[in-house]
Amino acid sequence: MATESVGLPFEATSAAAWLVWILPFAAALIMPAVGKASKHITGYVAVAFALMSALSAASLFPVVLEASEIHHQITWIETLGLNGGVLADPLSVIMANVVGWISFLIMIYSTGYMKGDKDITRFWFWMMFFIGSMQLIVLSDNLLQVFFGWEGVGLASYALISFWYRDKKKDHVGTEGRTVLGLLDYYSPTHAGMKAFIMTKVGDVMMIAGMLLIFLFAGTFGFKELMGDFGWAESMAAQGLLVPAFVLLFGGAIGKSAQFPLNEWLLEAMTGPTAVSALIHAATMVKAGVFLVARIGPIMFALGAAGILADQFFEIVAWVGAITALLLATQGMVNSEIKKVLAYSTGSQIGYMMMALGVAGLSHQYVDGYTAGFFHLISHAMFKASLFMAAGSLLHVVGSRFMSDMGGLRKHMKKTYAFMWAAGLGLMGAPFITTGFWSKDAIFAAVYESGNEWALPIFIIAVLTAVITAFYTTRMIGLVFFGKPSKHIEKMEEEGHHIHEAPLSMWAPYGILAVLTIGIGIIGLSAEEGLHHTFEYYLENSFGIYTVHHETGESILPSFLQGLNPVALGASLVAFAVGIGLGYIFYIGRWVDATRFVNSNIFFYAIHKLFLNRWYLNAIVYWCFVVAPLWLARAVFRYFERTAIDYGMNDGFQKAVGWGARVVQGTQTGVSQSYLFVFGAGLLFVILILLI
Amino acid sequence: MEYALLQAVFLPLLLSPVAYILGRKMGPTPAMWFTFAILLYTTILVINAAMSGTVEEHYPWTSLFGEFGFVMDGLASPFAIIIYVLSTILALYSKPYMIHKFHEQYEEEQKAIQSSGGQSAVVTSSSLNEYVNAKSGLYFALFLVFAMGMLGTVLATNLIEFYIFFEVMLIPGFFLVALWGDGPRRKIGLMFLFWTHAGAVVLLLGFLMIGLTIGSFDFADIKESEIPQDIVLASAVAIAIGLGVKLAVFMFHIWLPYVHGSAPTPISALLSPAMIGIGAYGIFRLIVEFLPTTFAELSIWFHIWGLVTMIYGGAMALMQDDIKRLLAYSSISQMGYILFGIGSMSTLGLAGAEMMYITHGLGKGILFMMAGIIIVKVGTRSISKLGGLAGKMPITAVCAVIGALTIMGIPPTSGFMGEWILFYGALETAIDEGSTVRAVTFGLGLVATALTMSYILWMLKRVFFGKTPEHLEKVKEGSWYMTAPMMVLAGFTIVLGIYPEMFLKTIVPYMSGVLGV
Repeated sequence: MATESVGLPFEATSAAAWLVWILPFAAALIMPAVGKASKHITGYVAVAFALMSALSAASLFPVVLEASEIHHQITWIETLGLNGGVLADPLSVIMANVVGWISFLIMIYSTGYMKGDKDITRFWFWMMFFIGSMQLIVLSDNLLQVFFGWEGVGLASYALISFWYRDKKKDHVGTEGRTVLGLLDYYSPTHAGMKAFIMTKVGDVMMIAGMLLIFLFAGTFGFKELMGDFGWAESMAAQGLLVPAFVLLFGGAIGKSAQFPLNEWLLEAMTGPTAVSALIHAATMVKAGVFLVARIGPIMFALGAAGILADQFFEIVAWVGAITALLLATQGMVNSEIKKVLAYSTGSQIGYMMMALGVAGLSHQYVDGYTAGFFHLISHAMFKASLFMAAGSLLHVVGSRFMSDMGGLRKHMKKTYAFMWAAGLGLMGAPFITTGFWSKDAIFAAVYESGNEWALPIFIIAVLTAVITAFYTTRMIGLVFFGKPSKHIEKMEEEGHHIHEAPLSMWAPYGILAVLTIGIGIIGLSAEEGLHHTFEYYLENSFGIYTVHHETGESILPSFLQGLNPVALGASLVAFAVGIGLGYIFYIGRWVDATRFVNSNIFFYAIHKLFLNRWYLNAIVYWCFVVAPLWLARAVFRYFERTAIDYGMNDGFQKAVGWGARVVQGTQTGVSQSYLFVFGAGLLFVILILLI
Repeated sequence: MEYALLQAVFLPLLLSPVAYILGRKMGPTPAMWFTFAILLYTTILVINAAMSGTVEEHYPWTSLFGEFGFVMDGLASPFAIIIYVLSTILALYSKPYMIHKFHEQYEEEQKAIQSSGGQSAVVTSSSLNEYVNAKSGLYFALFLVFAMGMLGTVLATNLIEFYIFFEVMLIPGFFLVALWGDGPRRKIGLMFLFWTHAGAVVLLLGFLMIGLTIGSFDFADIKESEIPQDIVLASAVAIAIGLGVKLAVFMFHIWLPYVHGSAPTPISALLSPAMIGIGAYGIFRLIVEFLPTTFAELSIWFHIWGLVTMIYGGAMALMQDDIKRLLAYSSISQMGYILFGIGSMSTLGLAGAEMMYITHGLGKGILFMMAGIIIVKVGTRSISKLGGLAGKMPITAVCAVIGALTIMGIPPTSGFMGEWILFYGALETAIDEGSTVRAVTFGLGLVATALTMSYILWMLKRVFFGKTPEHLEKVKEGSWYMTAPMMVLAGFTIVLGIYPEMFLKTIVPYMSGVLGV
């Protein structure tokens, strides 16, 4: 087992690993001063620093190619024996590059999208703060430092969701006046930010509990140190705390990645500027949970290989992923706001990744599911960021978040139309030419081949979700680009607004990502194999997880598809065809009117309503964790704090003293009979007591 | 340096008349700078002493009580530093706030004179100036005595000395509230005096029980002598109750929302984090250190009591409309964290509790300053009348967010460093003892952090975000006297959050020494 750090070829790389996350923080620090000097240059400064950070990440790439690692530590909190450090291994370097380059593109996009906003300095501050925190998560070598980044991205997410903190009507999400179970389904940016922060905090609370449990037994937060010796895990397992601790850690991932049951915040997070949605709520931050599972999963699997069984952890991960994937996809089918559709889709796709990482641990070939999940992370980051940015262009041009206010835009925005198709095909998993297809197919195969007792139900959920995904993506494109222009657009044109393509700084970034989706997609199989290969070495070197190589016999597939699982492949082809076909019927060809179809019978109507009302989960969360506690607090405040404490103790004491004084006063009547009477009664009482 | 601690404690007291005269003769600005200079000098003395490890000074006193001494060890130094740092920068902050307050009261008094049918007093600028000068002299003199009382308490080495300083800080506190508070200030001042004094009397009872049994009040003697079991328990309970009133833990918190709500804001900012936390100092010193066996018995009750206080304070804070009362309930909740940490009975739990004191001092200091700026600049303290202030007062808003993060325990603020260490300590004991009760309290304690987060974020949202009501259109940022102190604290909390070693390196060895680990 090779757990020793492989010697670094040159010292500079270790500096690069630090710079990747320090540079964006430095940019954030100087941003207020830059903004004071001139608001126009803030954007350039941000883009420049994002580029430098991305280049530093790129300079680490030899680590991936050589399957080596860079581990550099400094003393942090000496009293507690804690070190800070960076750990650049293949996993974190690939992730850092995904984050770095996508952030760079989104930063360019933002210069166009946020042009003229008077709070632009604040925007850049938080964007850079976010990138720094995210890279900190990726490159940290210990959990405590990860947690710094973890809360940093949460904070940036909070600040950017409520970026337009003045709560103007146009910045809300949801439909005004619409209620679900008596609660408004209409949220202001500041409310949404708060909701996101508190809901993810619930996950963070679990995560910190898990971290502390592990620290208690292992005496370290370091990933490398945890792999050194499994004594801690044995004693944890002996007390039955091992799986709970890791599940608690996973709780943090549930919160951050908007997985069931902490999924509801992601929808409201769409109140932020679209660049934020693309960066934080699609490409990077919500992936932090997946990354965390990819970080700790191998440790868990290695423990399993060492005889400390922990299957429940992987089962929970897989099931949470599966449930989320289906749950959010169903809601994506019916929503009318373009960004919310994409948000549902994001949560659902992350569910896929979790599913893959969970299933990986349940099979013998850990690397298959692991690669599949991570490959999907990469491809999703590309196409979803692209879709979000394109949606941002639409919002920018049309000035409405509702798809019903768009329609027929393909003539006016040809580039956006083409790129959205390309990226959309990636999301749908269009066969053989998109990254989304290969990564999704790898997930299907990993699930199908895992041989676990849950493999079949999870596989069915995965395929069903794929059908739905293809359907809602087609629906989105159909509603936006096909059909007649909406009344809103007609009105705009009457008023003299010409509908036009977004500027170059905006369409270029999502164009690049859309082209990459297809470009990498064409060589997708070899890309996946390369990744598989990298991870094979990585898992072997760092965790001692060996891959068993079977000689696979000739399968029925044509030569360029050799090595794929025919069942998984068939399922993904069928899912794509069914999904896009149904979508075409309703929204592109418009052969059947969707509204009339839904209203045609009570069953469809009920299902539609269930999906539209978010399975009532959001309302239930609000009733149980907002309305009821507030009601309880009010009752306690009114009837305990105000009454028993305030009135009882404070005023009560005052009154008691006053009353006591009056009683004493009252006894001094000056009437001798009453004195005598009391005296006699007292005497009698004493005698009686003595007699008894 | 010789007599450093003696100077640090008594210089402010001795020079307080000078501050009074300066204020009377020359106005608030010289008095403020004078106060600031004294406190800055003494703060440097304190920090200097803290850097050179444990410092002890002993002076002869009456034979009846024992020695009069000061000790600055791993426990006392963080308390002392926070108390004086806060006092120093709040001296600056006081000026604009108190002048605003004096003007308000002057107008009130003029109105009262007019309406009582007396001669229609002519409001001249000279009489207003005189009024402000006289009041500011008194204010800064009291301010100095208040700061000195707090420092004396945490440095004392003798039970009687401790008690005297404990009461000394009460007296200026009472006057500051009763003279310049808001609302029914005299009544609230009395309430403050009455409840905390009642607590102090119970405390004294505990002291006397110990002191008379072993025949000495000196800390050094108490530490060494064997105290009979029955006396120990009774005195520990008396001390816990006495300090509990100061800490304003659940059921003894009656006075706190009133007093913190009403006190002049710089004083609230001192009362809330610095003064009530001295109750925690007392528990560390008197119960954890001197009565370890009793502490072991009582710790689980401290733990639960702390938890209840955390949740109760947080829930009540949710219901407040008055911004200062909200912060007052938040302080109660934070004191619950500290008590929770003390109850964890593990090195890091105790260390975390002390970190919480530091971090709460910084965070709540910032938030009270924010409330003060709003009171001065907007003229209301009702949250429902506020909104959208972030655009109007950006510096205040940024600092308030940092303060809020500190209270919520979000990195990179010091709040997180306090919180995780504290909860780690709680978990450690729970696992070591295999105690279900402790495991449950640990879990609920973590849940309470989400509650803390809810009320703080909700407050921020209602004060700084959302639509700006029309009457707030002309609101301006507070003056530098008010914003600069906030920025200092905000910077401090972030530095400490990233590099807590400077305090931990003194706290942790002390705590492990006390617990005998």
